[in-house]
Amino acid sequence: MNKRKMYIRMITASLLRRRSRMVIALLAIAIGATILSGLVTIYIDVPRQLRAQFRSYGANMLLAATERTFTKEDVDKALAVIPGEEIVGVAPYRYETVRINDRPILAAATDMEGAKASSPFWKVDGSWPASDEEVMVGKNVADTFRLFEGDRISVTYRPEDAGEEDLDNSVDLTVTGILDTGGKEEDYIYMTIAMMEELTGEDRGFNVCEMSIASEQSDLSGYADRISADSSVLDAKLVKRVTQSETTVLGKLQALVLLVTIIVMLLTMICVATTMTAVVTERRKEIGLRKALGASDRSIINEFMGEGLVLGAVGGLLGAVLGFWFAQAVSMNVFNSSISLMPWLLPATMVVSVLVTGIACLIPIRSATDVDPALVLKGE
Amino acid sequence: MSTLLELKNVSKIYGDLHALDHVNMKVEKGEWLAIMGPSGSGKSTMMNIIGALDKASEGEILLDGEDIAKKSAKALTNIRRDKIGLIFQQFHLVSYLTAVENVMLAQYYHSVPDEKEALEALERVGLKDRARHYPSQLSGGEQQRVCVARALINYPEIILADEPTGNLDEANEEIVVELFRKLHEEGTTLVVVTHNPEVAEVAQRTIVLRNGKVDHESINPDFTGKIKHITLQ
Amino acid sequence: MFIRMIAKAFLRQWKKMVMIAFTIALGASLATAMLSVMMDVGDKVNHELKAYGANISVVPKNASVISELYDIEDGDVSGEYLAEDELGKIKTIFWAFNIVDYAPFISTEAVLDEGSTVTVKGTWFDHHMALPTGEELDAGVISMRSWWEIIDGDWLDEQKLGSDFCMVGTGIAQKEGISAGQTIRLKGPKAEKDLTVAGVFDAGSDEDNEIYVPLDTAQEISGLEGKVSSIEVSALTTPDNELARKAAEDPGSLSVSQYETWYCTAYVSSICYQIEEVITDSVASAVRQVADSEGQILNKTQMLMILITILSLIGAALGICNLVTASVMERSQEIGLMKAVGAHNPAITGLVLTEIMCTAVIGGVIGFFAGIGFAQIIGHTVFQSAIEIRAMVVPIVIVLVIVVTLIGCIPAIKMLQSLRPTEVLHGRA
Repeated sequence: MNKRKMYIRMITASLLRRRSRMVIALLAIAIGATILSGLVTIYIDVPRQLRAQFRSYGANMLLAATERTFTKEDVDKALAVIPGEEIVGVAPYRYETVRINDRPILAAATDMEGAKASSPFWKVDGSWPASDEEVMVGKNVADTFRLFEGDRISVTYRPEDAGEEDLDNSVDLTVTGILDTGGKEEDYIYMTIAMMEELTGEDRGFNVCEMSIASEQSDLSGYADRISADSSVLDAKLVKRVTQSETTVLGKLQALVLLVTIIVMLLTMICVATTMTAVVTERRKEIGLRKALGASDRSIINEFMGEGLVLGAVGGLLGAVLGFWFAQAVSMNVFNSSISLMPWLLPATMVVSVLVTGIACLIPIRSATDVDPALVLKGE
Repeated sequence: MSTLLELKNVSKIYGDLHALDHVNMKVEKGEWLAIMGPSGSGKSTMMNIIGALDKASEGEILLDGEDIAKKSAKALTNIRRDKIGLIFQQFHLVSYLTAVENVMLAQYYHSVPDEKEALEALERVGLKDRARHYPSQLSGGEQQRVCVARALINYPEIILADEPTGNLDEANEEIVVELFRKLHEEGTTLVVVTHNPEVAEVAQRTIVLRNGKVDHESINPDFTGKIKHITLQ
Repeated sequence: MFIRMIAKAFLRQWKKMVMIAFTIALGASLATAMLSVMMDVGDKVNHELKAYGANISVVPKNASVISELYDIEDGDVSGEYLAEDELGKIKTIFWAFNIVDYAPFISTEAVLDEGSTVTVKGTWFDHHMALPTGEELDAGVISMRSWWEIIDGDWLDEQKLGSDFCMVGTGIAQKEGISAGQTIRLKGPKAEKDLTVAGVFDAGSDEDNEIYVPLDTAQEISGLEGKVSSIEVSALTTPDNELARKAAEDPGSLSVSQYETWYCTAYVSSICYQIEEVITDSVASAVRQVADSEGQILNKTQMLMILITILSLIGAALGICNLVTASVMERSQEIGLMKAVGAHNPAITGLVLTEIMCTAVIGGVIGFFAGIGFAQIIGHTVFQSAIEIRAMVVPIVIVLVIVVTLIGCIPAIKMLQSLRPTEVLHGRA
């Protein structure tokens, strides 16, 4: 048997046969590592998750026409600039003045699914229009005309080139929902793009396109500049109210999580260190004995550190897995979405655990090796 | 016979207390020496200094003609490793290592662990069949025999035993004493610190300490150096 | 004798005791800091979310749609207005304390020198109010339009500059070539006035094509003295729940006790209801874009902090537990000796427990104050304001420290009780 085998045999013996102590040490390290990997994962993933939450404030980028209108193709070209996974919702709008009961009302035609995604705060009493025959009316419009869900309304439109004797275009639509936003949207009626074309008799393109994009503000203004530069008909602008405020609030929240992470981590690491210190201090006698048998300080440190490192690595591994599990649980509970896996965190957690364990063990080992073995063996 | 260990004017002072006060002493190679004395007479201090576990405040300590009194802690560690075998009253076995592993631990620090040799050493102290037991599974006598095996595994120049029978009953005491006799027979130098006259009696020579000084010395007239017939279990 | 033994234990083992106290202090400070931050984070984030502007808009009861609709037609129908002298009442409602900011608006058309017609809005910029409660408040668009980027000049400081100034949207400024410091003449429906441009702003919205002037200036040129057409209110609210949704439909559908709960909770709907009570002929409604999102983000943030707090509490608890176990086990020798001299298990248990508990109390107290410190560091660094320490934190931390320390002692004490003195003294344990 060579020295290395004996070394390994001693360490495994110590780890496996001093079970209660080792469980304590391992538990301490695993807790530390869990908190470390869990909080770091949350810290890194939180901006992404929260950004998605902030999309509930609705569109943060507007595409306006430089001329009069733009087409669906222009919008698609603009969207190609933005990474697909960052696009939350896109709603192009075409506005026309129509009449209900001879009173002028602003009508908006849009892609209902897109509007639902880009303006998640819209509250609809009833349901969104599912077919071209259906219409959603703003709350103020509904109040004015005493409209309720299920009512049928006649919407008329007078083309600009209509002559004196021409009759107005007219369609009959069913009200499926009343829109409540607390904003100017309550003054509009919303219909599908196809119905607007039927009513007006022409496809005139869109006036505005609202977009909700989950990106950082700097990326966002980059996209806006690119879109404006690439297209002659589009002018992309950021909705300052949304982007600016998001940057402010998100910055604060991120700082909060960062600070909390640092403080919790610091305190936990110290906690792990004191526990390791207690576990090693218990073995002062053994260190004294080894010294009496002629062990050099170096070989004693090697042996105890070997043990510490094994514990640190195993605890770190355990903690990394538990930490990921915890972060996942948090993410599922808070954001209903899965956390992104960061493989580098596994070795990083293990390295930190090994370092903390190593430093925590080194202090009591050193203090034990510094004392004369005779004193240690006699018992305090 | 040549001198293995010589203490010249050795003192150990703790504050005002002279634990050892200008002690002179010689140990010949192959000699079996007992050191006696009441509590507080300086026995343990003497043992620690001879065992290179502690440093003297003054004086010279010649081991194999080399003065170890002024050596560094590191050098003392090497001396312990190479030349001295220690046996303690409290046994001091590593609780999570088996008997044979405890013996191998001494080999490990000295040179290279050799399980076969370690088992042979246990066989010499009559514990071959207990080699895979942990200290907690062994009786006090058995534990002390493991310590003896551990002390002699590296063929030290000198074996130092500090109250080796202090925690043992009479039967076990006898077994340990017989082991010493056997070691002596084989030419090992033995220094046994004890306050048990029965253990001291069987040594070749006894030094009695009092208040840190050598009070008197006596040679055992009945010393035969022969092994009594005992059976080790 | 008992006390003497404990005192001795402290003296002899002060290093170990210090370590235990230190760890308990760490755990307690962690618990205190996290609990305090968690309990206060709602308020803090709520304040931060005020960056999004008003979450309640108040308009006159009848006029709202009709006036706007008729505006499209012929642009000259006198709708109904809210009275300016009632504005102060908003700060007298039940939830007045939660109203952090508000600003009235009045909109009119005016003709510039060059002949182009622009929308002019009169409002408060940093209007100073001394409330009947003795509270003082600066309210207005400077804080409620925090996202406006001033690209030329500065904010219109109403208190310093008075009412002969205006702020111009970047759209108009570009079109008309207006820059800060210049004087423009606004010709309103009733009067005209020369105003100095205090600043040009970029709002990233339709507001870029409007001119903002102090409220009385707009009233003067439009002839609508003492009237406002809408009020934007920024209030701290509690996220909506089922009750709030039901009440928002119709407060009359609630039972008396439900009504009381609703009225006395800062739901956006109950604040709206209370504003309607004090402002004559008004309709207050939640701006869903802000109000709903706010609730969602508040809930998520709070939930996140709760989970992180739970994790750190578990961490702190296990850490303390562990160390207590480790340090009691370390003393097996001493306890074996006590048993050998005839101490009974209960006596030993009592001794160990008393020692550890004394240490725990010292550590806990130190940790509590350290934790308050940590909470304040977080509060000042992140939110630039102190974290309020709720009274509830104290009992939670006390119970946590005691229970956790006791649990930490259980395995160790079990082990100690099963110790046989001979084994310990003969070094076999």
